[in-house]
Amino acid sequence: MSGHLHEILARGLLQAGAVLLAAPLAEGVMRKITAVLQSRQGPPVIQPYYDLLKLMGKEDLECGESPWMQRLAGWLALVAPLSVAALWPGIGGQGPAAGDAILLVYLLTLGGVATLLAGLAAGSTYSLLGISREMMTMMVLEPLLAIALLVAACHADSLQLADLFGGAIYGRSGHSGSGLLMLGVLVFAFQAMVSRRPFDMTEAESEIMEGPLMEYSGPKLALLQWARMARLVVSSALMVALFWPGGAQLGFPWAALVFAAKTAAVILAVTVIAATHVRYRVDQAIRYFGGMLLAGLAALGLACFGF
Amino acid sequence: MKPSEILTPIKQRYGTAIQRIDRLDDRRLVLHVDAGALKSICRFLFRDLDARYIAGIGADDRPYSGRFMVAHNFAFDRDGLLASVLAMLPADAPEVDSIAGEVPAASWSEREFHDLVGIVPRNHPNPKRLVLPDGWPDRVHPLRKERPWNDRPDGYDEDRPFAFDPAPPGCVVVPLGPFHPTLDEPAHFRLYVDGEIVRGCEYRGFMVHRGIEKLAESVLTYNDIPMAAERICGICGCVHNVAYAQAVEQAASIPVPPRAEYIRTIMLEIERLHSHLLWVGLAGHILGYDTLFMHCFRIREPVMWIAEKISGNRKTYALCLIGGVRWDITPELHDELDQVLNRLEAQWRPLVSALLEDRNLRRRAAGIGVADRALIKEQGLIGPVARAAGIDIDCRRDHPYAAYDRVDFDVILAQDPDVWGRISVRAREVFESIRIIRQCLVKLPAGLLQAPIADELPIGRIGMSSVEAPRGESHHWLITGENHRPRRWRVRAPTYQNLQGIPAMIRDQRLADMTITLGSIDPCFSCTDRLETVDVRTGAVRVCPPEELRDRLRQRWNEPTTP
Amino acid sequence: MSWWSKLTEALSGLQAGRVTLDYPARPRPLPKRFRGRPIFKAEQCIGCAGCANNCPAREILVFDVCQEVRILKYLGRRCTYCGRCADLCPEKAITMSQTADLATDRIADIQQHLELFMSTCQRCGRCFTEPSPIEQLKLKGYRFDDLGNERWIYRSQAVLGRNDAVDDIPLELD
Repeated sequence: MSGHLHEILARGLLQAGAVLLAAPLAEGVMRKITAVLQSRQGPPVIQPYYDLLKLMGKEDLECGESPWMQRLAGWLALVAPLSVAALWPGIGGQGPAAGDAILLVYLLTLGGVATLLAGLAAGSTYSLLGISREMMTMMVLEPLLAIALLVAACHADSLQLADLFGGAIYGRSGHSGSGLLMLGVLVFAFQAMVSRRPFDMTEAESEIMEGPLMEYSGPKLALLQWARMARLVVSSALMVALFWPGGAQLGFPWAALVFAAKTAAVILAVTVIAATHVRYRVDQAIRYFGGMLLAGLAALGLACFGF
Repeated sequence: MKPSEILTPIKQRYGTAIQRIDRLDDRRLVLHVDAGALKSICRFLFRDLDARYIAGIGADDRPYSGRFMVAHNFAFDRDGLLASVLAMLPADAPEVDSIAGEVPAASWSEREFHDLVGIVPRNHPNPKRLVLPDGWPDRVHPLRKERPWNDRPDGYDEDRPFAFDPAPPGCVVVPLGPFHPTLDEPAHFRLYVDGEIVRGCEYRGFMVHRGIEKLAESVLTYNDIPMAAERICGICGCVHNVAYAQAVEQAASIPVPPRAEYIRTIMLEIERLHSHLLWVGLAGHILGYDTLFMHCFRIREPVMWIAEKISGNRKTYALCLIGGVRWDITPELHDELDQVLNRLEAQWRPLVSALLEDRNLRRRAAGIGVADRALIKEQGLIGPVARAAGIDIDCRRDHPYAAYDRVDFDVILAQDPDVWGRISVRAREVFESIRIIRQCLVKLPAGLLQAPIADELPIGRIGMSSVEAPRGESHHWLITGENHRPRRWRVRAPTYQNLQGIPAMIRDQRLADMTITLGSIDPCFSCTDRLETVDVRTGAVRVCPPEELRDRLRQRWNEPTTP
Repeated sequence: MSWWSKLTEALSGLQAGRVTLDYPARPRPLPKRFRGRPIFKAEQCIGCAGCANNCPAREILVFDVCQEVRILKYLGRRCTYCGRCADLCPEKAITMSQTADLATDRIADIQQHLELFMSTCQRCGRCFTEPSPIEQLKLKGYRFDDLGNERWIYRSQAVLGRNDAVDDIPLELD
């Protein structure tokens, strides 16, 4: 039993570390692709690493209402997606898992709560405006993810992550209506889950001066930026794990590479959409997600009846 | 209506109050009226004759006539007439009835001449300081002739904060500015916000007030002022440069050679091109659409290069002198400009078609920042803001100047009085500008670039010039004077007028839409503020920590001024 | 159709390719008429002070050390690179160079100072012919008749002494 635990811990640390290191690279590639679409040269692909290093080397200024809570928020924001990565049941969804769907939803929500905490801890007018937007979006978005996992759980009769990943959402037939419906819903909602345009109103630079990130600089800002990048990678991996099965049977290392390639494809799609869209207002976004939520509930209903 | 037709009803009603009518030429008049009748006459022009309010001017005329002067300028756009209603006030009691109650567009002009010249507008609805900071001592009016240009008054309390009005109940105060990523220049909008809805706004600007008008009256001369004028604005410099030159040329009756007029037209339209292209990109950026920003700037760059080839600088063309222009368009430049225009059009057309079909963009712009016809009339809003609402005004056609009377172009209108309409109008005006430049290049006559000026310029003559900047009408009014400089020069940039409409445009809208609404009037705060107090002796200041800088400033306040 | 417009917008960037320039790795050639820092050539300057008279920023100072020596100093701080000095110089001693990279932490790098030997004139004021009456020169010969705010042509160390940028010149006080 303890060997099992050791294996989980070791793999967990490895996965968390991999996400931590790969996230800035994903961000760098995003920036490069955005630059190409904008006829620019763009920064070098490893620029985010330089940025994070620079930020971590800066003086840790104490500004904002509650500096210790700001630090806590930063750590929480970073640890949440890394924990999800740690609990991942092996690349491709195989192997013993340490958690289940409920833990996953909790950890992802924790990331959002960390943003709220960050804005509250900063305490400036613009931060509070930012977190009010974040709260409104969280209320409609988090349920969508939970519903997707529940639909998969209905089909797989289990809450363990290992059972839910790998296409379980499509049911025993492989193309259940609820699964396809959830695929559609999450495709349309994904951009908001990773807080990218057109749904990045929480940190709208030109409107509310970065919102919750406003009183952050130096190491605290590095944590929040890194958390944002890690969140993108983890959410993309989650999308792939739930909705894009296949390749797991190839074994190590090909399965891992295929998985990474699929995640990269999702990130590429996010980039292209982010580069070509205007930012929506929070009320417009909520109306949009309201519709998604209804569709999600419909899918859940279908799944309960086995479709 | 011809000027006589406009004058007839005025003379009928106010005949006794009108002292004199000067016809500066067939499109400009100055009505000298009794101070007591100023308010009624202005109301009559604004309401009954449906004139557009341009600007109010206060001047210290005591060294010349022993009195103060106040003037209100109106435009009869459909008739192509500019009228200035002028009254003289006694030196010991410079007061006049405020017209802001009847003509809301005059609100800022009156507060400005109250601050700067000390003419009191009686019963002004909002008699707060506009230009001078609140800590400025009372009764020290910079534009009065006894005040030197480098005046440092005693009793200046630099720590006194601005006195804002109290917030409406239930609202949170959200400060926008003076530093904000959207604002290129400092300005302070104090927003009163209820949740995400803006309930009110108070504007405090004039932080880049630089004293250009004072410098022009005291230190600069006629041919130096164009260089200062073009620095009033960071984008529409050529407009101010040309408008000033035209005002002097009109006052002194100097005929500008046709070739110079065409070159002025070409450079003005090149400026309009780069300004509108910049603006569409900026609107995209404000809305979070950085890709559009990059496209617009990429397409715009060749315009900057050709401007640099013609004038030597990308933006400050230093184009005009009194009576002509300094740069010629050679045959090589002619061909290059043609190529630039062709390429520009080929790139801009598909992008504009795509933009105007873009629903995602439209959702953020339609219904936002609405300025309906009533607001436009009351506040005297101009430029694309007015044209987007379908109001057909454009100084190039209504009050033709330079070579605009000799080229064909359409005035672009829209029927959407919101941000979407303004995007549409500016994007399409680019094509009209290209059309105008092409016609100018074809018609460019040979000849002199500069009119020979044989005599000194006459003194005491009034000149007025309205030029269509990319943002709207830019109006210059001056009186020629002694020692080769004007007695008074008043610049009314378009943003000065358009900003007065902002509080109404953002009320009951969401906070997220505040910045794009502000951006949609294409604000140029430097144009609005126009002041730069330059101290010859501060050349040596390098890096100073804030405390040291404050001490030095305090020290300088206490030093005696130039012997 | 919105997705079609998005596609057009995205493709327009790809079509244009990379427009980023390699500046400063590869310098950009400037156009002929580019107005950079004005360069004053002492050999050709006759010390008429037409440039100082007409500089809108009042950044050219002219003063007499003694009867035969005139100093012309280009202070360069507020220079707007308008080119009026170059246009008006009767000897074409001023050229607007192609130097645009002027950033420095020492103002002396930008300033120029010319020491001119002035021979006695037959008649005052002949050397500068103003192009129009509104550019009249306010000085006659080497005497400055128009001090004060109108023309900042300083006459003595006492006035110049306040300006750090010019105090490197040893002058005799009046």
